[in-house]
Amino acid sequence: MNGESAAKDGKGFLGTRTGRTLAANWAACFLVLMLIVFSITGRNFLSIVNFQNVVHLQTVPFLLAAAETFVIITGGIDLSVGFVMGLASVGAAKLMQIFLAAGMPIGWTIASAVLIVLAGSVLPGLVSGLVITRFKVPPFIATMGMWGITNGLALKISQGYPMAGLPDVLPSIGNSYLLYVHPGDFISFFAKPVSFPDNRIRDLLRLVPISLPFIIIVLATLSFVLLRGRFGRHTYAIGGSMDASLRSGIAVDAHLIKIYVLSSFLAGLAGVFNIFQTGIGNYTTFNAQYEFFAVAAVVVGGASLAGGKGRIWSSAVGVLVLAFLENGLAISGVQPFYRYIAVGFLLVLAVVIDKLFPDIR
Amino acid sequence: MRHANSPAPRAAYDGKASGGNDLAARGKGFAAFFGGRWVLIFLVLETVYFCFRSEGFANLNSLQILLFYGVLVFLLATAELFVIVTGGIDLSVGYVLGFASIVSIKIIEKLIAMGLDPGIALLIGAAATLVIGILPGLVNGALVAYLNVPPFIATFSMLGVCHGISELIINGVYAMGLPKLASDIGSGHLLYIAPGGAATLFQKPVVERGVSVLEIVPNIVVVTAIVVGIFAFVLARSRFGRHVYAIGGSMDAALRAGIPVKRRILGVYATSSFLASLGGIVYAFMYVSGKADAGASLLLDAIAAVVIGGASMFGGSGTVGRTMLGALIIAVLDLGLRMSGTPTFDKYILVGVILIIAVIMERYMQEKA
Repeated sequence: MNGESAAKDGKGFLGTRTGRTLAANWAACFLVLMLIVFSITGRNFLSIVNFQNVVHLQTVPFLLAAAETFVIITGGIDLSVGFVMGLASVGAAKLMQIFLAAGMPIGWTIASAVLIVLAGSVLPGLVSGLVITRFKVPPFIATMGMWGITNGLALKISQGYPMAGLPDVLPSIGNSYLLYVHPGDFISFFAKPVSFPDNRIRDLLRLVPISLPFIIIVLATLSFVLLRGRFGRHTYAIGGSMDASLRSGIAVDAHLIKIYVLSSFLAGLAGVFNIFQTGIGNYTTFNAQYEFFAVAAVVVGGASLAGGKGRIWSSAVGVLVLAFLENGLAISGVQPFYRYIAVGFLLVLAVVIDKLFPDIR
Repeated sequence: MRHANSPAPRAAYDGKASGGNDLAARGKGFAAFFGGRWVLIFLVLETVYFCFRSEGFANLNSLQILLFYGVLVFLLATAELFVIVTGGIDLSVGYVLGFASIVSIKIIEKLIAMGLDPGIALLIGAAATLVIGILPGLVNGALVAYLNVPPFIATFSMLGVCHGISELIINGVYAMGLPKLASDIGSGHLLYIAPGGAATLFQKPVVERGVSVLEIVPNIVVVTAIVVGIFAFVLARSRFGRHVYAIGGSMDAALRAGIPVKRRILGVYATSSFLASLGGIVYAFMYVSGKADAGASLLLDAIAAVVIGGASMFGGSGTVGRTMLGALIIAVLDLGLRMSGTPTFDKYILVGVILIIAVIMERYMQEKA
């Protein structure tokens, strides 16, 4: 029915069922196409090691894009995610430094710092959400204010330097693999066997970075929440029509606050993961533009800034598109700066496709 | 062309909003007095505070320094104001500034290498940069007006494109190689008074070592004041300006009144981009270098200045004068904190807080009005 009406608009191929399916999944198609092209142009692009690396390095963008997906579905935007992440990272580092100096055992240090930071990371979102709902401040402005505040706090804590001196065990947890296989010899879980010499580590096949199951579980949970539960239904309803949601008795204000809290919490989780990945506390620099790439991934994934549209897994595809774009360009020997330009074009393409097919969910 | 985050449902929602009603009950006198004046009062209080807190803040020289370091925010805030009055947003100004700073230096470098006189090279380079600098705005405007891309996305993409092109030009480092004349202009002053009464324009008089010369009004402040003045006039008095307000007030009504809405929106984004690239040239002359993220941190300041100045993010209101007050609040904060020895990190926090307070104040005043 929809296909026919679109065909009547004179869209030709785009109006057919195949055309609509392609348009609905254009990001995934683009991703596959890109993988094929880069497999030809880039040596060693098509390898399990490279793919594992890309996915591992995208853990933070996955989390931020998931956070942004919830906010964007409600028709809002959260510009503070990148800096909340930086604040969480340096905050956790600071706490660990303090606890270590106080003589706390390493295990307790890490656990308590992580828990405190995760609990604290809901605060920026709570403030943004309250400002947005109580005072009717546009989300753009409220979260931009929070961007300034969290950035300033992170710089204050770190004094503008990356924070080192943390337990060495952090990066070895964050960068470990589920399986270590020495072909024809042994398989070991979680850590390489102690007897295996360090200088032969390259002979070892390392499979499934620990970040992969972590991110799959987080994204699957979020996707479930968004698609199956009442929380998700209300999220889509608010984005579809704030007015109708109010009339149908949804507690819009309370729900929006929860959305910004969730976004901020996921950004905090990203900050904690960042510390496990790098082993140091990193504040977010201005040219890192995490929020830029998070919003871009969500839009490329098919969400609309007007609200009401978007899915966690689609956003994850968006993240992968941007990630493989960078990785593929680098491996093919193209200067990485083309990435920014390409992302610009992809964004506009995403919006144009969104306008051409307004009824695709 | 409404702001991307303010679809019609939100407007309807806002209409029924009850937030601030308890505040509203506190009588009309307070609001009537503070009405549009709270920004000015805040600025005065802030200045007085820093006069006491920061040693050496209360003199003419620090006023000049304040204006000198404020010029980029003044220019970007004016650029942003035009777009915000139409109900849009321009996220690309910061990176257009960086792009222009690099382009101007590269062009001037080439011209001087061709054997041109530095003065003429600077002039041609700056003019060429201004022409090139309009391009991002034209693309933004075309995307917004003709392809109906939300301003947020269109300018977001342009931010990426400008960032990428800038880094490509300079290969990820800095652009340098301006002649000494550029820094003479960029950090020079309009008037110099040597002790004993000898006054010179533009050129620093030759004096003995250790004798201090009174320097009055930095050149770039003069340029900025003239440009901002012209654009204030354009927005307040010209037909273009009237149309810009009309579009921001109601796109529908503007269309019905026969205003060429699409062309005007194109013009608005071109204006924004033009002012941002002028900022880039000023940056290049001030710091004698260009880099891609030169203006990255200024986006928050520019939008904050416009919002503190009372413009609504939904469009239709805001003036250059009040935006400059907003920009001054940030400039005073910046310099005051620097001079009191507080790390500049505090500035980001305070700008964020003031920004949020400003919007809340705006809402509150609107409800009273």
